[in-house]
Amino acid sequence: MGMREYILRRAISSIITLALIIALNFFIFRIMPGDPTRTIVGDVRLRPETRELLRQQFGLDKPIWVQFILYIQNLAVGNLGVSFQYKGTPVTEVIFGRRLTNTLILMGSSIALALIMGMILGVIAAWKRGSKLDVSMLTFTLVAYSMPVFWLGMLIILFFGFYLKLIPLAGTVTPGVEYSNFFDYALDYLHHLIGPMVTLTIIDIAYYFLIMRNTMLDIFTEDYMLTAKAKGLRDRIILFRHGMKNAMLPMVSVIALTVIYLFGGATLTETVFSWYGIGRLTYESVMMADYPVLQGIFLVMAIAVILANFIADIVYAYLDPRIRY
Amino acid sequence: MQVLEIKELITHYSTTEGTVRAVDDVSFDVGDGEIVGLAGESGCGKTTVALSIMRLLPQGGRIIKGKVLLEGEDLTSKTDSEMNRIRWKKISIVFQGAMNALNPVLRVGDQISEAIVEKEMTSKAEALKRVNELFELVGLDTSRIKDYPHEFSGGMRQRVMIAMALACNPRIVILDEPVTALDVIVQGKILDLVKDLQKKLNLAVILITHDLSVIAEICDKAAIMYAGKIVEYGQILDIYKNPKHPYTEGLISAFPSITGEKKHFVSIPGEPPNLINPPSGCRFHPRCSYAMDICHKKEPPSVDVGEGHISACYLAEAGFKSSR
Amino acid sequence: MTKLEIEYLLPTWSEKLGIYRERVRNFWKIYSTSKMGIVGLGLVLSFFIIAVFASLIAPYDPYKFVGPPLLKPTESYILGTDHLGRDIFSRIIYGARISLLIGLVAAAISVGIGTIIGLTSGYFGGFLDAVLMRITDMFITMPTLPLMLILASILGKGLINIIIVISILYWTPTARMVRSQTISLKERPFVEASKAVGCSDLRIIGRHIAPNVFPLVFANAIITIVDAILAEAGLSFLGLGDPFQPSWGMVLHYANLAGAVVHGLWWQIIPPGACIMLLVLGFALVSYSLDQILNPRLRKR
Repeated sequence: MGMREYILRRAISSIITLALIIALNFFIFRIMPGDPTRTIVGDVRLRPETRELLRQQFGLDKPIWVQFILYIQNLAVGNLGVSFQYKGTPVTEVIFGRRLTNTLILMGSSIALALIMGMILGVIAAWKRGSKLDVSMLTFTLVAYSMPVFWLGMLIILFFGFYLKLIPLAGTVTPGVEYSNFFDYALDYLHHLIGPMVTLTIIDIAYYFLIMRNTMLDIFTEDYMLTAKAKGLRDRIILFRHGMKNAMLPMVSVIALTVIYLFGGATLTETVFSWYGIGRLTYESVMMADYPVLQGIFLVMAIAVILANFIADIVYAYLDPRIRY
Repeated sequence: MQVLEIKELITHYSTTEGTVRAVDDVSFDVGDGEIVGLAGESGCGKTTVALSIMRLLPQGGRIIKGKVLLEGEDLTSKTDSEMNRIRWKKISIVFQGAMNALNPVLRVGDQISEAIVEKEMTSKAEALKRVNELFELVGLDTSRIKDYPHEFSGGMRQRVMIAMALACNPRIVILDEPVTALDVIVQGKILDLVKDLQKKLNLAVILITHDLSVIAEICDKAAIMYAGKIVEYGQILDIYKNPKHPYTEGLISAFPSITGEKKHFVSIPGEPPNLINPPSGCRFHPRCSYAMDICHKKEPPSVDVGEGHISACYLAEAGFKSSR
Repeated sequence: MTKLEIEYLLPTWSEKLGIYRERVRNFWKIYSTSKMGIVGLGLVLSFFIIAVFASLIAPYDPYKFVGPPLLKPTESYILGTDHLGRDIFSRIIYGARISLLIGLVAAAISVGIGTIIGLTSGYFGGFLDAVLMRITDMFITMPTLPLMLILASILGKGLINIIIVISILYWTPTARMVRSQTISLKERPFVEASKAVGCSDLRIIGRHIAPNVFPLVFANAIITIVDAILAEAGLSFLGLGDPFQPSWGMVLHYANLAGAVVHGLWWQIIPPGACIMLLVLGFALVSYSLDQILNPRLRKR
């Protein structure tokens, strides 16, 4: 059956890409010019013997091929190594747990909101091309696209946090506060979520809007749209049932692509808002040269992206009846 | 009573290169249960006539003058929402290249039933019953209602389009090049189907095509178009036996006959004219082997040469005799 | 026909140049009617002028500590001073140079790499194509900013490193586009004719395929410039830029370190970011107008 073959082919392709990335992940960090032992103990004059002991402890003295085999073996059992900056905490503990959850909540909510709003606005703007709505949305898109995402974040904190005092200035929750129940905690969390989420959403809406609009404009030239109009159907039905349903096909691929882009956006946004997530962890780890954590983050992100693409391909095949046969 | 009357229709397109005078003073009628053929080369304005009737002209297209009377009602003055109520219920259309006119991501049955549900306000279940009937009517296997367009062959897709066009029992259907992309055997079957529908449903049809042999097979009347104008119009037999316009003669003799004596193959020299700047006088004069002085000075009037047979040629009046 | 004669008949660089000059003139006629295009071009040119004449416009040397640190905007220091006592206004003026420089150089290298890979992959096909495409796919699936961060941390700070880091990651869209264009051009009869006459592959690529790919590459280059400028801004903001160069991203980086946001020091935040936005907007508008012109389906009647 066509569908099964298709899924199999895509799965193999994804696995190959994943393997390449795992290899790449390993070797990049071995080219590093800096000396990781410095991170572990801070900038203290170490006696060469102590340094050598440290290197042995972290397995940095063995030949590179042996290290690679060890790395793969560890990977297979889910051991991603031990963090340098969080002395001895396993990388898996550092990344997974609170941080990953926070980033997923941030990315998930902004994608969802941006997607719904962006797509609907895109469809309407394409239908009423040249109208005030269309032109103003296009302008907004252009401006949002040109803004550096971290600058937008700073502006939002400045206006809504500092001047209007509507949102908190940083963090995921108010520090040092104890919550009597989950509801209060959730409320505080959401209050802190608004800033970074709005920032990411604004950038995302622009992107989804533009793609949807252009896709719809292409679809308007198709014959079946004229047929739908000739049937005397209501505008709404023509647009959404006939037009948008076809537009969803390319959109699915686009959404998968934006997940890649969003990791970068999340990194910057989390740094600006001091959001306790993977993005901020990346930044901190870069500053502290904590290579095990960076390796882990990179792996997690790459897996997420490959997974997103794989799912997108499957969904695409599911939506497009022509592919299954 | 005429189902459709087109009176002096003029439709122009405004483009960046200029105004295209696509339809320039076109008039013809379609009677109850009549199949009228609209013939001519590509680009002569046939599809524009169809789009004008349905008021589906693209951006830049406008009906400048004239009337389109559907059962007495003038369609040219209606608003879009008024037209929406009329579309598909009283008049429907099967577009050229029906292969692509079906939405690839929707099931065929749904595309047909949607029209019924929306326009006749029935439930989906009732609509699907009607879809079954329509499928039988056009000779399609009813088990295939849940299939997608790409699963059908060209000929079958055409039948689907016809079934869809008949969904709301319109008085008249426009078929734009319904058999052009099909092979000859399938062509014959589709034409038989149309003739059959005419008999069963008393359906009026406008059949648009560039292929005169198709017109000859099933049409009752024919209007021959050239460069946005109707050059000849009348009962099909009159036109065939007694063409009263050089262009019609050219079209007819462009087909070699299997029976009869071997003759020289006569094709019409030259190219269809540019409709932004059409030729002066009679638009056909640059390609006409009978052209006279007056032909490129003044446009010939349409004259009735007997029993509703109309021709727009100076020679028609003088008793044009085809040299066939 | 001799080799020379066939060469003469097929489109070559010199002929193409002549055709180009004519096309550029026509193109400008159409382009100048687009309001957005003119505004975009104006923005870009303005920043060019600011960059070139920076030393005349800026009141102070951006590298020197000329006043007390963290001043509010005053008469002598229009936008105040940063935490080291450098005049922010001057730093922003000179920042135009850095941003433009990095944007253009990084984009040029990216597009260069992408074009070479695309041409090679598309023209030679087969195993080479499969391998190159696999590598390209890998680069596409990697999240760019985190990867750039990691690379930059390995290479260290500095302008050249930033250019390298951006160039390594931003060539993929160009490569893909050039490859598909090359594949379709490869099938054209004039390529077959050249081969039959004995032209070397290099010659065919260089003289016949490359000129036809160029317009597409140019349009893509502008988008790459936009991405490069934003990438540099992001990397600098995170502290990986050259600490001595006043790139707009670095200005914002130091502003953030000085707690500009939590203390409401808007003059350190708004101007540099606005400059980034306007420069990028300029290029984006140019790119949008080019797209409108080159893509007939989006054109209005």
